[in-house]
Amino acid sequence: MEGRIKAHPILEFRRGKRVKFYFEDREIEAYEGETVAAALQANGIRVLRYTPHTNRPAGLFCAVGKCSSCLMEIDNVPNVRSCMTKVKEGMHVRRQNKRGDVL
Amino acid sequence: MRHYEAVVIGGGPAGMMGSITLGGKDVKTLLLDENDVLGGQLVKQTHKFFGDHAHYASVRGFEIAQKLQEEMAKDPNIKVETSATVIGVYPNNLIVYAKDGKEFKVTYKKLLIATGAMEKQLPFINSDLPGVYGAGAVQTLMNEYGVMPGKRFLIVGSGNIGLILAYQLIQAGAEVRGIVEALGKIGGYEVHAKKIKRLGVPILLNHTIVKAIGDESVSGAVIAKIDEHFKPIPGTEEEKVVDTICVSVGLTPLSELAEQAGCKIEYIPQLGGYVPIRNERMQTSNPDVFIAGDLSSIEEATTAMIEGKIAALEMAHNLKSTDVENEINDEIQTLSLFRSGPKSEKIRIGLEKFGINVKPVPEIERHGVQIGPQGKLRAIIDCTEEIPCNSCEAVCPFGAIHIGENLNSTPVVDYDKCNGCATCVIACPGLAIHMLKEDVENSTALVGIPYELLPLPEKGQKMWALDEDGNYICDAIVKKIAKYPNKTNIIYVEVPLEFSQKVLSVEFPKRESPFVCRCEEVTLDEIERVIDSGITDFEEIKRLTRVTMGPCGGKNCKLVVLGILSRKTGVPISKLSHGTSRPPVKPVEFSLFTKRDDSK
Ligand SMILES: Cc1cc2nc3c(=O)[nH]c(=O)nc-3n(C[C@H](O)[C@H](O)[C@H](O)COP(=O)(O)OP(=O)(O)OC[C@H]3O[C@@H](n4cnc5c(N)ncnc54)[C@H](O)[C@@H]3O)c2cc1C
Repeated sequence: MEGRIKAHPILEFRRGKRVKFYFEDREIEAYEGETVAAALQANGIRVLRYTPHTNRPAGLFCAVGKCSSCLMEIDNVPNVRSCMTKVKEGMHVRRQNKRGDVL
Repeated sequence: MRHYEAVVIGGGPAGMMGSITLGGKDVKTLLLDENDVLGGQLVKQTHKFFGDHAHYASVRGFEIAQKLQEEMAKDPNIKVETSATVIGVYPNNLIVYAKDGKEFKVTYKKLLIATGAMEKQLPFINSDLPGVYGAGAVQTLMNEYGVMPGKRFLIVGSGNIGLILAYQLIQAGAEVRGIVEALGKIGGYEVHAKKIKRLGVPILLNHTIVKAIGDESVSGAVIAKIDEHFKPIPGTEEEKVVDTICVSVGLTPLSELAEQAGCKIEYIPQLGGYVPIRNERMQTSNPDVFIAGDLSSIEEATTAMIEGKIAALEMAHNLKSTDVENEINDEIQTLSLFRSGPKSEKIRIGLEKFGINVKPVPEIERHGVQIGPQGKLRAIIDCTEEIPCNSCEAVCPFGAIHIGENLNSTPVVDYDKCNGCATCVIACPGLAIHMLKEDVENSTALVGIPYELLPLPEKGQKMWALDEDGNYICDAIVKKIAKYPNKTNIIYVEVPLEFSQKVLSVEFPKRESPFVCRCEEVTLDEIERVIDSGITDFEEIKRLTRVTMGPCGGKNCKLVVLGILSRKTGVPISKLSHGTSRPPVKPVEFSLFTKRDDSK
């Protein structure tokens, strides 16, 4: 798969089972155990949302749940930190527009 | 609601060591961490850590985390909850955390907060553009998930994190176009900087990033020189073609939970920002709350672990009146030693504001690079900056390396004792040691270079030998590849004797450079490297690269080579000596000369 490190001099990547999820209705391949944000970066998808005031594209920044730059709509729930959410088979992920509606 | 004698928030080195110590003193402890694996920053560190050999020096970061975890798993006093995000600390010693979409509450008698730090922001134009990442994010993607988020990188900031990130990116197969640093000197350890410079990564001092270029994703970066007020100097802007920008301009403590727990917070820039006030035993202004690690001051895993231990010992004493006096004093002394070197000056100034005084060591033994006796296979140590590390001394089976009690001192080698075993080369976290043996009779030298990249070359293969800045200096023939379990391998190469003290790195010969000399297959890159090394005489270039010396006699390439030379030196071609032309001007059979016919 694109964007994934194949051979590494120090690390061995023990990737989990292959799973499929949907990003804007497009099928994305990922491995169990990785986060939504990581799987999207591996597939070359960087724009994760558009900002509330100026409608600018925003992407992953800290990857450890601190900065909230990667908020997405996951299975219809807005404002989810995609860097802290593991992929699940059949999950639906969308770019978040603005603030997201309160459910 | 559950109740614990001690709760630890944060499972990095500080929190893990705190938990292990508490458990060891029979304190029922709960450790909460947001991630699904413990280790904090350690998990994404593939390099060997500095420090005292007694505190996991030479062990790779992610392996330290594994070791601590194994220790914790053995202790029934410790309960661990991962994927548990603490969202608040409330009055009456109450903690609320979220796990699996549910809310949980626990209370504590004593609390250790070890939440670590987060990366500082650097606002520049388009710094919010996708493709601008915090350095830690790229480490997480690369080293935890095996995901490479770009091809060509620019790094902003030359502290240890930026330097290490550059190295890790190269290990994972990416290209690092450079590091920009606003200050006039490199922020991180010299050995980390040297490690990437010899791989050809330029570090541009007094430079900053002005803007990121791109519409929905980074496609370039504008950098510029800055003046003494850190303002970009107009006219010095330069575009770097990169697809990813990493910001590593320092960390700042995550002190919100400590603040909620009633700890007084102060802004102390030397310690990284807003930090809880605490005493030497890591107790905050709330006597039930202790802190440790990067939350108390941005430092190192080693100091984080010692602080975690000190806090835990004092907590155990508070809870159970356990006698810990001697143990605590020992740890405090070790900590002072770590902080006594010149690189810890900032921390000392910061701590003084809490009334904690750490004495700098008055005289640190400083030594230059020793060359040792020519002809003997031996270790050459290029470690001349005082950093707290003694792994070379600790691993040497022959006692040939001396650092002494103050681990900030730089190593001294006793070459009578060094037998060339290379154990220190493998252990050194800075990859600052290489092997050398000259063979004067044959005018060659054997150089053993620590190598942590893929692929490994094969015996007999030709490589390029590089100097400290990653410049080509000569060809090198691989003589031996020594593989080691810790994955620092050594490549032994043979080089001409005159380059024996210059060769510090090797790389595979580059192929993407255009071929200038078709006959001898010499690339533009090879010619430029020779010129860059200071050789500007055409005849000399010919001899070193064999350009113009093939069957065509230079008809194809001579002008091109002179053009390159002229471009690089600024001397017009008309003023350059273009060498001597010797017969035959066309290729003919050798036998021709033996069948001379003088009759005509
Ligand atoms: C690139 C790099 C290279 C380094 N190299 C070295 C080296 O060579 N030698 C060395 O000694 N040190 C090195 N360090 C420094 C070292 O890694 C840190 O100083 C150390 O990890 C700090 O430990 P800590 O336990 O305080 O914090 P961390 O390791 O940051 O751990 C904090 C933990 O707290 C958790 N947490 C935070 N908030 C919450 C919350 N609300 N709820 C639940 N959990 C939470 C986090 O998820 C994290 O797991 C390096 C650091 C980096 C980034």
